[in-house]
Amino acid sequence: MAAPRPGWSRRAQYGLFFSFIAAILGLAIGLILLAFSIAAPNSFKDFRGAALDGTAPITGALHQVTATVQGLASGAGDYWDAASQNGQLKRQRDAMREQLTTASAILQENRQLKAALQLREQTTEAVAAGRLVGSSYQSPRRFAILSAGKSDGVQVGMPVRAPQGLIGRVIDVGSLASRILLVSDRANIVPARLLRTGQAVISQGRGDGSVEIKPLEVGRNPFKPGDLIITSGTGGLYPPLVPLARVVRLDGDNAVALPLANPAATSFAIVEQPYEPEAMAPLSEKDKELP
Amino acid sequence: MVRSALASKQKIGQGPIPGAAYVPAASVFVGILLACLPIVALSGWFPDFGFLILIAWRLLRADVWPSWWAAPLGLLNDLVAGYPVGLSVVVWTVSMLALDLIDRRTIWRDYWIEWALAMLLILLNETVQWQVAAWMDAPVPYSAMIPPLLISIAAFPIAAWIVVRLDRWRLGRQ
Repeated sequence: MAAPRPGWSRRAQYGLFFSFIAAILGLAIGLILLAFSIAAPNSFKDFRGAALDGTAPITGALHQVTATVQGLASGAGDYWDAASQNGQLKRQRDAMREQLTTASAILQENRQLKAALQLREQTTEAVAAGRLVGSSYQSPRRFAILSAGKSDGVQVGMPVRAPQGLIGRVIDVGSLASRILLVSDRANIVPARLLRTGQAVISQGRGDGSVEIKPLEVGRNPFKPGDLIITSGTGGLYPPLVPLARVVRLDGDNAVALPLANPAATSFAIVEQPYEPEAMAPLSEKDKELP
Repeated sequence: MVRSALASKQKIGQGPIPGAAYVPAASVFVGILLACLPIVALSGWFPDFGFLILIAWRLLRADVWPSWWAAPLGLLNDLVAGYPVGLSVVVWTVSMLALDLIDRRTIWRDYWIEWALAMLLILLNETVQWQVAAWMDAPVPYSAMIPPLLISIAAFPIAAWIVVRLDRWRLGRQ
């Protein structure tokens, strides 16, 4: 199709011309907005929070529907083969009970040892709990939408975890919902430790659901497939000893690992206080500087 | 026989539906809202539905909307999908302006040329997203952008088909 030709009508010619000028103006405004977004990522946080509040109820409602459908399907599946499953679960329960006794003994011993050493233990309190209802499934960045916001006490920068492991941290907050930077995002760097040896490593997302684990010390590759990575608490944002990822393969000096908390499969996520509240201080000072 | 050849298939009195001029923009809006679907994906490989529908409309017709409408629609996409504010504003407006310029140059067009143009615009969109992510401390390797790029290119004909159906419906040419 050829371009619209306005013909001899002066009005149509002007209309086309002004729409062209308006488009160029729109482009200029867009470039300015984008420059602000890149240079000062907090500049539009109120707008982004408001947009989250506008869209999160839709996502949340749709999530309820899909969760119900999935629940019906898997609920029906559970009745299948129920008798043998029951026996298996009973055996598992008995084995677990033994382990639980051992674990509680160890816990008690640990508490006594810590008291002897007079270690001050920082308890991390849960701020809010919510469901992961959506994600940035169209973009190279890895964000998720959590159904808890400012009205539940969530603030930008707080760590988010699931029972299985670390999920990420809050980067945008509306009053009803918040946006989480997942550990698999490229910009999310988590100080961590190799559980087997205690060696300090850092984890950085790869943008495709997995994370890259890099040792801090140069040397031969310390990883083995199946190794567990836990957070170290360095930096004060993420609490220590939270399970983070499991190594699946080695890659040069680094390792590729899968996060233990799969955001697609976790039903509940818990927002916690930053491990050391001072970790939030530079962030909030930076906020004040910005107009 | 002559009578049946002369008779129009179109029913008399059937014209554009009320508000036909706003159907294209409304369909782009619906495409933008698809980002609200409750999909928790590990990788961002889904196509940018709003953008696909936008370029499908613009490739089908040059007069669906004044080019500057792309700017507010892009702003909406940024806010809904959580992109850095301004990213879609820039990409969408540039796409409209680029297609305006291309319309002056091309004498004729067929489906393959339209798909090739769409491919170029999708490539532009993905590359800008990748570059902006790199500027925002998330330098994903470019190879990670190949799967979403191919998926978007493959999804364009579907968007184009939906848009053609919508166009026939809004103009009352069923």
